[in-house]
Amino acid sequence: MKRRTFLAGSGISIMLPRMESLGQVVETNSNRRLLTIVNHLSFYQPKLIPEQEGGFSQTPTLLNELSEHLEDLKIFSGLDNPAVQNGFGHTPCVGILSGYFNKLQRKNRLSIDQAIADRIGGETRFKSLVFQAGENLNFSQISWDKHGLPVKQIDSPRKIFNLLFQVDENAKAQKQVLAEDRSILDTVLSQAQSMEKRLNHTDRAKLDEYMTSVREVEQTVKRRAYWADRSKPQSDYKIEEFDRKSVDDYVSTLLDLAVLALESDSTRAVTVQIPFWEGFKEPELSGNYHDLSHHGQKPEKIEKLMMLERGILSRISDSLAKMKNRTVGESTLFDQTTTLLTASMGSANSHNFDDLPALVFDSRIQTPGHWRKQDAPMSNLYLGLLQLFAPKQEHFGESTNAFEILA
Amino acid sequence: MLLLIALMTSRSIAAEIKLVNFFTEHCVQCHGPDEQESGVRLDQSINLLLADTRLMEKIVHVVEDGEMPPEEELQPPDNLIDEIIPILEDRIISQRSPNPLKRLTRFEYTNTLSDLFGVEFDLSHLLPPDHVEEGFDKFGDSQIMSPHQLMAYLETARFVAERILPLSKPETQTWDFDGKYFHGSKNFATGGGGDYLEDDEYVLTGFRPYRSNLHLSIDPEEHDQFAIPAFGKYRLEVSVRSDQSKEGEIIGINLGDGRHPTSFKTIKRIALPHRANHFETELTLKLGDQLAFTFDSARIPGKSLKKQEHKGPSLRFSRVKIVGPLEGSWPTKAMKAIVPNPDMSPEELVDHLAIMLTRNELPSEDRTAYLNIARAKLELTGSKPATARSILIALLTSPHFLYKSESQELTAIQQAHRLSYFLWNSIPDPELLNASKLGQLREDPREQVERMLMDPKTDRFIEDFTRQWLQRDKVSDFGPDVRVFKNVRRMTVDSMSREGRELFRYMLENGLSMELFIDSDFVMANDRLARFYGLPPVEGDNFVPVELPADSERGGLVAQAGFLKLTSTDFATSPIHRGSWILKNLYNMKINPPADILINEPDIRGTTTVREAILKHQELESCSRCHSKIDPLGFALEYYDPVGRKRNEYRHVEELVAEDDETVFTKKIKFTKAPIEANMTLPNGREVSDMVSLKNALIEDKEKIIKGLIEKLISYAHGREVTVADRPYVNDVFDSISEEEFSLRAAIHAIVDHPAFRKR
Repeated sequence: MKRRTFLAGSGISIMLPRMESLGQVVETNSNRRLLTIVNHLSFYQPKLIPEQEGGFSQTPTLLNELSEHLEDLKIFSGLDNPAVQNGFGHTPCVGILSGYFNKLQRKNRLSIDQAIADRIGGETRFKSLVFQAGENLNFSQISWDKHGLPVKQIDSPRKIFNLLFQVDENAKAQKQVLAEDRSILDTVLSQAQSMEKRLNHTDRAKLDEYMTSVREVEQTVKRRAYWADRSKPQSDYKIEEFDRKSVDDYVSTLLDLAVLALESDSTRAVTVQIPFWEGFKEPELSGNYHDLSHHGQKPEKIEKLMMLERGILSRISDSLAKMKNRTVGESTLFDQTTTLLTASMGSANSHNFDDLPALVFDSRIQTPGHWRKQDAPMSNLYLGLLQLFAPKQEHFGESTNAFEILA
Repeated sequence: MLLLIALMTSRSIAAEIKLVNFFTEHCVQCHGPDEQESGVRLDQSINLLLADTRLMEKIVHVVEDGEMPPEEELQPPDNLIDEIIPILEDRIISQRSPNPLKRLTRFEYTNTLSDLFGVEFDLSHLLPPDHVEEGFDKFGDSQIMSPHQLMAYLETARFVAERILPLSKPETQTWDFDGKYFHGSKNFATGGGGDYLEDDEYVLTGFRPYRSNLHLSIDPEEHDQFAIPAFGKYRLEVSVRSDQSKEGEIIGINLGDGRHPTSFKTIKRIALPHRANHFETELTLKLGDQLAFTFDSARIPGKSLKKQEHKGPSLRFSRVKIVGPLEGSWPTKAMKAIVPNPDMSPEELVDHLAIMLTRNELPSEDRTAYLNIARAKLELTGSKPATARSILIALLTSPHFLYKSESQELTAIQQAHRLSYFLWNSIPDPELLNASKLGQLREDPREQVERMLMDPKTDRFIEDFTRQWLQRDKVSDFGPDVRVFKNVRRMTVDSMSREGRELFRYMLENGLSMELFIDSDFVMANDRLARFYGLPPVEGDNFVPVELPADSERGGLVAQAGFLKLTSTDFATSPIHRGSWILKNLYNMKINPPADILINEPDIRGTTTVREAILKHQELESCSRCHSKIDPLGFALEYYDPVGRKRNEYRHVEELVAEDDETVFTKKIKFTKAPIEANMTLPNGREVSDMVSLKNALIEDKEKIIKGLIEKLISYAHGREVTVADRPYVNDVFDSISEEEFSLRAAIHAIVDHPAFRKR
């Protein structure tokens, strides 16, 4: 696989200013950012997780791909998601970041990326940006808001790029539209309120979802109206057109866009998913990603799978390196960003949703290395992460305590 | 009065005592203080137990089906069961939860707009799809509202309002493209797709939409693509013929950039009859849409990266003429309907549009807000169309439009809505509304239902109901792997996915019995499917009834290739999928994989022990309750392969290590033959061993299956699950159509005519 070269210089020429408070509570005043990467098909863990606990001595093949960043890395292995119901194909993947999936319930529960975005996203153009895993919505809705409702995920690199950098040529008309949207939202909200009085209990719950949604959209529209007045960041990044999805094309493009979004301060929280259902097709390989992940313990299949996984990890490594090269304010982008890389399955071969790995990259980590946390709830890791952004938080999902991330 | 209450109370107390005794005698041993099999405990307070409707329903099912108490235990006498079941049923009916509020599905929303404004919208790029895992997407229970759904409604409303109320008349233009403007993948570095220009004709030889398609440039020298300049209806006149072909071919019309087809989408398929050299069609397109044509019935995938001379059938395009946007009149019909009189005041406009969209007057407390929007817009723009746009956007986003509000007893307007969203998937037309207001739907809905069934809009019901009921849209989800199933092509699979719908249509139109879903002496087939089934040839892509030879096993849903393929993976059949599909979709049973058990996916390729592996399920009691029903039904179908062809032995497929080659399909495959062992015994002791004995067993269950189908129809019409509480409704419908040979059409009449149809 070819290595992509870094973009010359910085990709960004204008950084976005911060938004004056829209009345949202800002709990922290720092510039900390969160990059979450989820690989639904997981990694072949025997080649990712070191046998020993503690500091890294010998690194397995897959971990070698991240060798540049070992000093900033803590690996937690053997994690569990006790509130994720098993046994429905890939569907439980939707619960990876919330630690929750119940087939009978239509709603999920707040996911960690959104919990953190709620705290750090008040001043940026987008509270968060969530990229979808290719076009398969069914299994790849992983971001959930505080009401347990799905957060909009964007499915194509082109759309993400346009969202970040396209200048609206019709700004004046756009502002009128946004003003009108606000009065329409007011109208339909009061209508729902008067309608609710005539409804029974179950219907009220349904209509509450509607009203909650209207209120959230009002916030989004306010945000849009504010940013409509301000200039957009510019980038010389050229987005590639590709008609076959190879790891190289697709993952690096998604990660590039994630880094650009953070660097331009368009948002402080980006969530990226590695596409899996359509799968990658590499010229050198026969078989697609999803197929190969069902390797049935056959060595020749595992070998091919590893090629893809190494590709994915090396693209992630490149992006972390890129973040270390970019200066934002007084330190590098990497210094200001906590990166979580995790997987929604322990092994895609057997579709198990426990024994999960989590890799946390942060320049403040004092004792890099591997910690085995057999059967500890993922929520303990999430609580640890959440406390990096909001120290007073004491619970997240099934948390029983908080992992030490930095010490 | 007091006496009556006392009598009722004592009666219900007597019933409760009977239940307690039944539980104590027959259940508590395994579901009591010592053991709680499957987590069920029946020695608790009877009122607490009765309040758990789901548990009571489960008890009704297992006791009725003789699953509980288990065979080896003391069996309750039949007359006791006959006493117990009605007690449980009454209780379940009395505490049924209300039918939840439903919002419009994407399909209903789109159709409603089409019918209101006479414009065929495709809103799939704006509105999120409705996901459903069980039942139908019309179920209020499964419908989610979220900020991004709501934002999508707002944006869709604006998109629609701006399209149907253009501020100036778009000019109709004509574009005429010939070979000079044709482009295909030959121009690209991405590798050839086997298409080329020859003597002013553009030739497509294979099907590979991402690589091989014909698209149009605006300049012969340049490669910039032609894009639609304004929203509207366009007519396409295409000169195209097939070569080296003995039958009709299928052309795909796609949207997307043919040069970089990352988001290519087929919007229509055209069946080009054999020897035809021209087709015309009309499409509603929007600004920026780019068109590309594909050869969907191609024999080869278009795989070659090498230059090779093509010998098989090809499609040859010589001219594409596009005319549009076509507007019949100006102002358009929609514009006249929305603003019938340019002198209307904002008040009149608001009232007029509210009635048009919601078929109801706005409550007075809501009206003011709309008036404010209207007045503000009129002041700002001075334009009535612009004002109407804003009112429309607000109304289309309002809960009055998006939700189907229903009172306990449906009002006349609500009855018309229920019927209309059932059979037309859209808003009622004025005639239906008037009929309902005159009480016709209450007294005798037959005339209206007949009128509706004759209307082409009923096609939406046929399409949508069968898509979701039979999962027709998933027939082509997997494979078939071209290396294993060499002669099963894309359009054959496409035909398989249409067969269930066409059977339903034929039965509905001709008033045929629902028993034909179990077995029939004919099938619905088009040219490709008739050939696939080995039947006498049929000409063309349209489905017609074809009589089956006496020795044929086809006929009925379980012998349809679409079902047999749907329930298989790339290489292998799945008896469990097939069996549970039959129980879920014919018997309307609720079957879920156990939520607390991890289902490993064993690698069974290349093994001969599928049967043994699966039968392991039956050894565990928690599994056997369902698998003793599922497995025999599925195994009986093992004589049909993953694409629904008859076979006499298994052909297990194993993929070998790929060889290094520049083409994609180089994986070597190893086949191993193994004998089929299909016979098994159903819980009622009946043995099933092949298609014929399976169908006989199903026919024996005719009453259950027909009731299952009635339940499917009712749940679709009401937008909710059908449970034990609906038994009186289902039984009434069943009884009333038994005199009409269980005709599908009669079933729809009977459902609409039932008093329950007029309740929430």
